[in-house]
Amino acid sequence: MSPALRPLHLSPAHSAPPPPPASSSPTTFSCPSSPSSASSSSSSSSSSSCSESSSDCPAHHHHHHHHHHHRPQLQLPPPPSSEQPSSPSASPRSSSPSGSIGSTGSLGSSASEGIGSSGTSSGGDPRGPSPPLDVISEDAMEMDLGVDQEKQGGTSQQDRRPSARPESSLLPAVAAAASSKQSWLLRLFESKLFDVSMAISYLYKSKEPGVQAYIGNRLFSFLDSEVDFYLPQLLNMYVHMDTEVGDAIRPYLIHRCRGSITFSLLTAWLLGAYSSDMHISTQRHSRGTKLRKLILSDELKPSSPEAPRAVSASDSPASSPSHHSPVPGDAEVFVSPSRRTHQRSKSDATVASSGPGSGLRRTGSNPKVEAVHEEVRTRCFYSLERLRPQREFVKSLLCIGKRLATLPTKEQKTQRLISELLLLNHKLPARVWLPTAEHQHHVCRIPHTQAVVLNSKDKAPYIIYVEVLECQSFETSPVPVRIPETRIRSARSAENLDCGGGVTPHRAGSFSTVPNYDNDDEAWATDDIGQLQVEAEAQTSSSDNISQFSVDSITSLESKEPVFIAAGDIRRRLSENLAHTPTTFRRDPEDPSAVALKEPWEEKVRRIREASPYGHLLNWRLLSVIVKCGDDLRQELLAYQVLRQLQSIWTQERVPLWIKPYKILVMSSDSGMIEPVLNAVSLHQVRKQSQLSLLDYFLQEHGSFTTEAFLTAQRNFVQSCAGYSLICYLLQVKDRHNGNILLDSEGHIIHIDFGFILSSSPRNLGFETSAFKLTSEFVDVMGGLDGDMFIYYKMLMLQGLIAARKHMEKVLQIVEIMQQGSHLPCFHGSSTIRGLKERFHMSLTEEQLQLLVEQLVDGSMRSITTKLYDSFQYVTNGIM
Amino acid sequence: MSQVEKKAGLLRRTSSSKKPLKEKVVLMYDEIFAKEDPAKNNARFWDELFLMKVNLEYLESKLESVDGEEVQRIQDNINSLFHHCVQALGEEHQIKVVNALQTLCALFRGVHQKNKSASGFDIINMLMGFDKAEQRMKDLMERLDSLLCGDGSESLKSLCLKLLLCLVTVTDNISQNTILEYVMINSIFEAILQILSDVSSRGQHGYDAVVLLALLVNYRKYESVNPYIVKLSIVDDEPTLDGMGMVVHQALTEYNRQYKDKEEENQGGFFSTLTSMVGSMFIADADEKLSVQTNEAILLALYEAVHLNRNFITVLAQSHPEIDIPTTPTTPTPTTPTTPLGTTPPSLDMMNNPELPLDPNLQTSNLLITFLKYASIVMQDTKDEHRLNSARLCLIILTCIAEDQYADAFLHDDNMNFRVNLHRMPMRHRKKAVDKNIPSRPLVCAVLDLMVEFIVTHMMKDFPMDLYLRCVQIIHKLLCYQKKCRIRLHYTWRELWSALINLLKFLLSNETTLLAKHNIFHLALLVVNLFNMFITYGDTFLPTSNSYDELYYEIVRMHQVFDNLYCMVLRVSTNTGQWKEAASKVTHALVNVRAIINHFNPKIESYAAVNHISQLSEEQVLEVVRSNYDTLTLKLQDGLDQFERYSEQPKEAAFFKELVRSISLNVRKNVSLNTLSQDVLLKEFSTIS
Repeated sequence: MSPALRPLHLSPAHSAPPPPPASSSPTTFSCPSSPSSASSSSSSSSSSSCSESSSDCPAHHHHHHHHHHHRPQLQLPPPPSSEQPSSPSASPRSSSPSGSIGSTGSLGSSASEGIGSSGTSSGGDPRGPSPPLDVISEDAMEMDLGVDQEKQGGTSQQDRRPSARPESSLLPAVAAAASSKQSWLLRLFESKLFDVSMAISYLYKSKEPGVQAYIGNRLFSFLDSEVDFYLPQLLNMYVHMDTEVGDAIRPYLIHRCRGSITFSLLTAWLLGAYSSDMHISTQRHSRGTKLRKLILSDELKPSSPEAPRAVSASDSPASSPSHHSPVPGDAEVFVSPSRRTHQRSKSDATVASSGPGSGLRRTGSNPKVEAVHEEVRTRCFYSLERLRPQREFVKSLLCIGKRLATLPTKEQKTQRLISELLLLNHKLPARVWLPTAEHQHHVCRIPHTQAVVLNSKDKAPYIIYVEVLECQSFETSPVPVRIPETRIRSARSAENLDCGGGVTPHRAGSFSTVPNYDNDDEAWATDDIGQLQVEAEAQTSSSDNISQFSVDSITSLESKEPVFIAAGDIRRRLSENLAHTPTTFRRDPEDPSAVALKEPWEEKVRRIREASPYGHLLNWRLLSVIVKCGDDLRQELLAYQVLRQLQSIWTQERVPLWIKPYKILVMSSDSGMIEPVLNAVSLHQVRKQSQLSLLDYFLQEHGSFTTEAFLTAQRNFVQSCAGYSLICYLLQVKDRHNGNILLDSEGHIIHIDFGFILSSSPRNLGFETSAFKLTSEFVDVMGGLDGDMFIYYKMLMLQGLIAARKHMEKVLQIVEIMQQGSHLPCFHGSSTIRGLKERFHMSLTEEQLQLLVEQLVDGSMRSITTKLYDSFQYVTNGIM
Repeated sequence: MSQVEKKAGLLRRTSSSKKPLKEKVVLMYDEIFAKEDPAKNNARFWDELFLMKVNLEYLESKLESVDGEEVQRIQDNINSLFHHCVQALGEEHQIKVVNALQTLCALFRGVHQKNKSASGFDIINMLMGFDKAEQRMKDLMERLDSLLCGDGSESLKSLCLKLLLCLVTVTDNISQNTILEYVMINSIFEAILQILSDVSSRGQHGYDAVVLLALLVNYRKYESVNPYIVKLSIVDDEPTLDGMGMVVHQALTEYNRQYKDKEEENQGGFFSTLTSMVGSMFIADADEKLSVQTNEAILLALYEAVHLNRNFITVLAQSHPEIDIPTTPTTPTPTTPTTPLGTTPPSLDMMNNPELPLDPNLQTSNLLITFLKYASIVMQDTKDEHRLNSARLCLIILTCIAEDQYADAFLHDDNMNFRVNLHRMPMRHRKKAVDKNIPSRPLVCAVLDLMVEFIVTHMMKDFPMDLYLRCVQIIHKLLCYQKKCRIRLHYTWRELWSALINLLKFLLSNETTLLAKHNIFHLALLVVNLFNMFITYGDTFLPTSNSYDELYYEIVRMHQVFDNLYCMVLRVSTNTGQWKEAASKVTHALVNVRAIINHFNPKIESYAAVNHISQLSEEQVLEVVRSNYDTLTLKLQDGLDQFERYSEQPKEAAFFKELVRSISLNVRKNVSLNTLSQDVLLKEFSTIS
């Protein structure tokens, strides 16, 4: 019964919360103001006025004086009890507070009363109305508890509701305060135009606690995915800004943490990273550190789904700390069945858990027992091991990176990497996931031999490929059962049976010719090359005639007629086969990643899938990730955000600029993960491997000048060049050598490594004064200085700049908030934001902008500094 | 290691030279060998007995000296002794447990010493009595099992394993050891696995556990269902399999290291006397000889794991850091009172560390690499019978590996590159390979290198035909895999081709001597068919177009050998005789090679004539080859990519029987009384209790 219940309850917490059904009942909305006219009036305000208004915000400070007045009432300090796991406070809050309130009749009515006093009844915007201001108070969460209880069985409804009532009585007061002022700002907040970006901006700029509190509350109504984008900003504000902001954000954070392991960990990691700039003494007691500890203590659990379970398990719903212990005890009982083989597997797990990488506990291989384990695991999942597996997984990956860094050669690093991953593989599948991925999944295997160390002088970043099995919910779906490595064979043949039903009889025929002399051991008998051979033949039947024939010839009939083949054919096939294999890079012990990255992704996926014991499963996917140790990725994350923002601006404004923001995961101030750019190798690798000029390489890869493939690749190149030229200019991206610029298989360039942006530049040498990197090689690919494509390139830049300028605030905001309390080199000096703002040239006319673009391009062209810098890089780092 | 050994030996001698005093325990033994029930007068007799320090020598000699009639008379008392031993195993008092274990050991040994010819049933009757035997053995096995799996002293566990090893090896032929029937029924397989899966217990008892397992698997292997075989074949718990691999890895590494040390010692002037060096290492010195034989046991364990358990294949590629640390004399500590079967106990810190240690100087290695190195040493000299057996077993293991698809996958994995320093025999006509410059390549290259190395170095009068056959078959299996999976290995195939051609040449020139003992046509057929693989299927697995040209070049260059071979097999096949059929197969197999020679030779000659060149360069010949493919027609031969799968039965059964016998003898010798009655052990318990 209950297992079936759980996913039901949890689902809203993980999937992007749909507007809860309850919210569609209009009468229950408890918006403090929102006259129905408000939305219409503010929607009429143009987008440009929006951005202006945000900068004006401080001026409105006095209008909101009353909020400040009411503040003591609003802000009940969160009582510690609310954090206790026993009080299952935050339920699927994502179903928006107003929604849950709405579901309880009495609460809803009291809320609407409050609104009623303000003289308006909310118009019932079905899109997702703003919640009442007071819900920020931690205690208010108690209300949800009542609601959930009611939803689940309705039994505890009676005794819960009273506790919620006192808080709810606050509603009228606040609502009155807000509504009495009826400021246009509030109307804006209520409007459809009010998006996350604006919310973050007001949260940052407004010094008015009421506004902050309101926005903090309002966060609940946005889609999780929208807020997630601004998570770094939210957390940086939480860590570094005053208490009011922190208090405003906190309930939202807590709520999301309860709902999602992923969110919990991302938050904890970022909090740690952003707190690291504080002085050690303040850091220890800072809000950020405390919240981080709270999250990592794993006390923030989704209360509602587990509540009935816990009750039934320990019979005493009140005793919260005590019902921690019975559950592990329970698990213990489960894990040690009478069979000794099994005890052993348990003891293994405990032995393993002493070292890093332990938490991903794998259990015995007996499928039956596995199932029991699984049950135990899901059972005590929420109370016991919610965050641990994933934390341990990440920790092991980072530890590997640290250990690799101590090895002298790339070859040794790669060998070690492979063996370390093999060990890690033993603990998979587990309830772990790759945070960069889009879909819910469980990691099931790391094809260890595919992993490769990337080029870096003294660190050891590495790329791993990760096999995952997609699932409904990472948190509740059962962890896939382990399939032993050696079971590829059976998996493979099963797959073959599926796809080629027609070939089966023929296959069976040839199969019988492979003699099986082995009769002393059945297990041994099924695995052989012979079987593989038959499968291979079946697969390549069309392309390969001779080998096919030879197999058939024995089986079909005992024909004595000799078959002749021409030696020339064999030789010709050999050279043809060799020619048809896609251009690959040579294996280079000094640059092991070149080959791995050059291999087309599709090809790699196919190859790994074939070799994987999980490959036959329909929900199998291959992902990849770069693990970085010893590098601060916070700047990278900032750059990613800016790129994403610009990308969406350009999409919105229909400017065909192409950039590829790649996801960044900051795990601490000196470690993290990066989503690799697929099908891309660095220009350095291209040059070194192909020994061709960039243009010639384009011709080799895509075809001659007039072919469509070449033209497409060229257009891609130009669009990406324009995009990144602007990025480099706006963000002042430095350290642009060929190792930091990738070229993908479609002709796009992709800049990577944003270690030097804004106010920082490498070693403070006078290199790289040009705005961006534009070498004559690039121009050659574009068709020369006079070509149409070069003109197109400049035009794109102009359009891009105009579009970006229009939405400057959205870009600026990201950077500005992150500057708070940060010691990152990119914020060095006092003029970072001003400089960035100036580069948008708000004051210039479009004609002047065009001139500016010309100048920038010209300057970059003529600048010999990029050339100089390249040779400097070659001398120091061996990068061409 | 040798230091420890000598010390132990010294102790042994002094203690044995002493005249045994009539200690109390001896008096008690005498009582047992009297007619009366010893407990009749002294109710606490058995309690007291197990508090006494065991006198193994006396007890054993007493058992041996009992003659037929007496046996009948004292059987009740011996049964009683056995019974009380088993019961004492459950005692809390550890001294009693130790003494009981040792007494049991003496009982098993003594009874078998006495009754070499007696049937197993008589022995069982004498020890336990027919009616109670089943219960007694069940109790014994359960007690041992719980001692091995419990949290008790490591020394006790060690002693339990010694007792089991002692029991398993009391007969020369393990299958005649009827008592083992009870060990089959009351399996201690799980206990062995538990020892192997736990890091610390593996370090201390892994060696004994693995040897014990290897022996148990071989009990009546072919006649009945051996539960150990069944169980071993389905283990899929990785830590356990890894543990087993670690123990094997450790033992082989230790051997390799010892060899290297010796080699270095012997270098410097005495290089030419390598054979004597090898000899002194493996034959002359008794202690050294032991180390070879114990490795046979480990090799057998590796074989059984690879052969029986498909999951074990993954362990082969499991990386371990190479243990290349110079020997530090290990002093016996109370926790490791005995050196496992005469080898140095594996350095504990390595075995205990679940993490890979972080020494940048350590090359990452894996079991397969270590095994290949080991094989390269063992194969160097196959004159000694033990080494011949080891070499054969190595090749059998490689055969199993080459047939396994998963193993082939990682052997050929382009991302798993290693430098494998194989040991090469120094020979007159070639310099010793410079170790340092070996490139990092997929592991299959090392396997092929090893095969080529073997082929080149064993063309001798006492021709190891069996090993050659296995060697060529391994190459064939690898080629089949490459053909099937379209793997274009960047290997210098030329070395293989010329090694194979030289082998044919050797067979030809020693035809008469070899034919007296071997069917050389079978080997010749396999070799020629390897060439046929390259000729007809080269397009599917050769790395470059040029390599196909080179193949032709090599065949044409060495055409004399093929011509002679053809003449020879033609001659034999036209005569009537026992080789007629075998030889005619070779004539058929040679059809394409001959076609190539007959096609290109005239072309090359005319090219030389036209261009007035007496000696064509390689490039020129290749040019002729390239431009004349199209006029050459080849015949497609059947079944080139088919092979007979390895099967132990019936072909190899005799070999394994003999091997197990020799291992049994060796293990028995090493589980000496002295390792059982270590003073340290007793000291440890006297302080505990």
